[in-house]
Amino acid sequence: MWKTILRRVLIMIPELVVLSVLVFLLAKMMPGDPFTGSINPRLGQEQIHHLMRINGLYDPWYQQYWNWVVHLFHGNLGTSYEYHEPVIDLIKQRGANTLWLAFFTMIMTYAIGLPLGIYAGKHEGKLQDTLVQIYTYVTMAIPYFVVLVVGIWIFGYGLDIFPTTGSVSAQANGFGPTLISRLGHIILPGMLGALFGTVNIVQYLRSEVIDSKHSEYVKTVRSKGVPMGSIYRHHIFRNSLLPIAAFAGYSITGLLGGSIFTEMVFSYPGMGLLFLNAINFRDYTVITALVLLYGFLNLLGTLLSDIVLSIVDPRIRVS
Amino acid sequence: MSQTKKWLSAGVAVAAVLSLAACSNSKSSSSSSNSTATKIKMSPAYKNTAKATKAGNNSTLKVAEVNDAPFEGITSPTIATNAEDSDVFAPGGSGSLFNVDNNYKIVDGGLANLKLSRSAKTATITLRKNAKWSNGSKVTAKDVEYPYEIIANKDTVSQQYSSDYENIKGMAAYHAGTAKTISGITFPDGPNGSKVVIHFDHMTPAMQFSGNSFIWTTVEPYEYIKNVPIAKLASAPQVRKNPIFTGPYKLDKVVQGESTSWSPNKYYYGKKPNIKHITIQVVSANNITAALKAKKYDFTVGSAPSSQYPTLKKLKTYSITGLPAMAYGYFGFNLGHYDTKTGKNVMDKNAKMGNKNLRQAMMYALNLDAVYKKLGNGVAWRGNTLIPPIFKEYNDAKAKGFPYNMNKAKKLLDDAGYKKRNGSKWRSDPKGKKLVIYFGAMSSSAATEARYQNDLQQWHKLGLNVKMTSGKPMEMNSFYSTLQAPKQNKMDIFNAAWSTSSEPTPTQIYGETAPYNMGHFVSKRNTQLMNNMNNSKAWNAKYRKNQFYKWQEYMNDQAAYAPDNFYMSYTPVNHRVKGYDTSAKNNNFWGGLSLTSAKQK
Repeated sequence: MWKTILRRVLIMIPELVVLSVLVFLLAKMMPGDPFTGSINPRLGQEQIHHLMRINGLYDPWYQQYWNWVVHLFHGNLGTSYEYHEPVIDLIKQRGANTLWLAFFTMIMTYAIGLPLGIYAGKHEGKLQDTLVQIYTYVTMAIPYFVVLVVGIWIFGYGLDIFPTTGSVSAQANGFGPTLISRLGHIILPGMLGALFGTVNIVQYLRSEVIDSKHSEYVKTVRSKGVPMGSIYRHHIFRNSLLPIAAFAGYSITGLLGGSIFTEMVFSYPGMGLLFLNAINFRDYTVITALVLLYGFLNLLGTLLSDIVLSIVDPRIRVS
Repeated sequence: MSQTKKWLSAGVAVAAVLSLAACSNSKSSSSSSNSTATKIKMSPAYKNTAKATKAGNNSTLKVAEVNDAPFEGITSPTIATNAEDSDVFAPGGSGSLFNVDNNYKIVDGGLANLKLSRSAKTATITLRKNAKWSNGSKVTAKDVEYPYEIIANKDTVSQQYSSDYENIKGMAAYHAGTAKTISGITFPDGPNGSKVVIHFDHMTPAMQFSGNSFIWTTVEPYEYIKNVPIAKLASAPQVRKNPIFTGPYKLDKVVQGESTSWSPNKYYYGKKPNIKHITIQVVSANNITAALKAKKYDFTVGSAPSSQYPTLKKLKTYSITGLPAMAYGYFGFNLGHYDTKTGKNVMDKNAKMGNKNLRQAMMYALNLDAVYKKLGNGVAWRGNTLIPPIFKEYNDAKAKGFPYNMNKAKKLLDDAGYKKRNGSKWRSDPKGKKLVIYFGAMSSSAATEARYQNDLQQWHKLGLNVKMTSGKPMEMNSFYSTLQAPKQNKMDIFNAAWSTSSEPTPTQIYGETAPYNMGHFVSKRNTQLMNNMNNSKAWNAKYRKNQFYKWQEYMNDQAAYAPDNFYMSYTPVNHRVKGYDTSAKNNNFWGGLSLTSAKQK
């Protein structure tokens, strides 16, 4: 087991190196540079050249790449051209916002999805099952941004129950009120995300439950006279979780990805918007840092998923 | 309201112009089709006759900043690079040194007074006695000088330096790093005193106006930030988290990228402001209409989105206020190249678009009045010159610009020899060679892109074979990197926009040495007219105005750059707000506000 993990971690290193070179090259190949967007007659052309030079943007790419790697090992991801802030600080700020929201959304998604999936599987073919199916298909069919816009319109502006912009109220001061305000700000986007994001969990779980229900071992246990409730708890549920567990790793690392739609509609400053703006403004340092981070998280997610799987199902363990 | 408006980034300006075309079937109440003057009547002020109440003033004034991205959070006007930052930190006074009148001419009465001496070639800036920062310390002469150091420092991230500053004695040496101080800026009563004298090589009338490129018009708290290296200033907590201000309000809290909240600054030199709390919050453009309908905000800083105007103007408890934007859309023609060795633009004799008749014809063929009537949402209209009408003194309201006239356009081409030959569908050039013209434009909303199609159609009707550069509208970065190349032949005509500073001298855009003269139009007359705007005679306001008029007339005649549109920068103001007035001469915008009730009406 540990050998496997170690081997996987070691393979990640060359993968990340290749990824970083690719990202670095692709970012440089995009037309424009960090100063194209800010052409401004009050800023002399010589000054732009000067800014390009002190930022090393005229150096050949391999040299820029090398400088970047050296800085990286000093824990320095560079300074954002757009925000004039160290990229690390920027990611910390936005990452924290995104984590709050994504974590809440994930918990709610599982809290809704797991019971529904089991419930539907248990009542296969009955009215309850049909209702759950209809729910999942409807939520899957509606484009997410429509959900957000309608949601904010009804609950934010119409009923005025939830705040509509930002991650925390401008007037909240002190630890307690800030915490409450933060929670208040993530409930609406988080709940919308959860209510409309359960389709995968429900469908996988439902079909697994149905499969397990008809499998030989369940029949055996049943014939021994074990009550149905206990069978569900001890046998079916655990086995049905396999495919869900396969996602778990991704879900955890995916928390930092952020959602561009949610962040746009709620003016919520998170990682999604940061990434989008970085691309639009050719904020190279932020682009490379984020892509590398996402790449790393994806690799880590795969690894975590495999580990979780091997815990749930010992047969999968590779020697 | 804000005297220190700087040139915004091109990206921002473009976004503002293009957003005007989101909903194409809106009823437009504006711009009659044969008039060139501003037909859209908006007042910069909302006159509220109700009385301000204590409960109202003790409540929170809620202001929205319409933006789809989080703001950057740099309070210092010398290093901030975009309009959002200056908007959300505006109640702090933006470090503004001077008061201005409605023509943005600097007048006495602000944080400091300005005195120009043409004989001594100096500008003397005298701070008022009770000028204080919001932490109680005195505003000093050094605070007036420090921005120049920040802007010109060789490690700076400031995007404000241009060769114009080298008109200050010793500036070039400081900028190059060979001098430690700027020798041309002196303190007659010491750096802690209240007087600064700037010595120039030559004086120019532009110096009388806020937003000129020679005298910087804001202060920096030297004592407070002196320990931060200039290169690191933009990320320092003194600039981001705990900044200090000279205006009517002090910053209580900033939520990075989202909101700022303010309370009265007890050290402010002027009258104590009325309202006890202000918050400014970023709201995405998709949401602003719903937010205002739900009465969540009192008004917006910066303009509300043009596309939302038809809905917003119907709000019952809000009144629309607005001013023409300090910006304009334009068409440019590629006439030559930029010689990087001499640093000058050069017109090519055989340039494809070199014929004046061709350029004029293309402009007359565009039905811009109809376009803006249909797509302008009632806040945009066809521009008539390259000076936006916010500059009442300088915009020639009587100039015609290019009203739609297809017959005239056809005649212009016929006269110049652009004829259809050998039964071709398209006109060829006077020498009989095939003529294909490439039109460069930036990608945007569906309505704006439909508008490009309309432009193409009009030119096709004229008989010109015009195609889009790269087949479709270009992404902003690609567009500008194509256009800014010293020599390019991918775009023969292009559509873009500029924001202007509050001093409209156009030399930095259309001058012979201006790298932003992206169509490379150069002529003796153009250079002369622009020089005249700021020659020694131009200290006479009437003469200066005349030169601006002549220049606009000349540019319209040459049609190397032609106006596309002007638009209103507007906001709905809630009826509980009293004293709202964004006209330039209201130098105490935030301090002058009060509220008539505790809740939005």
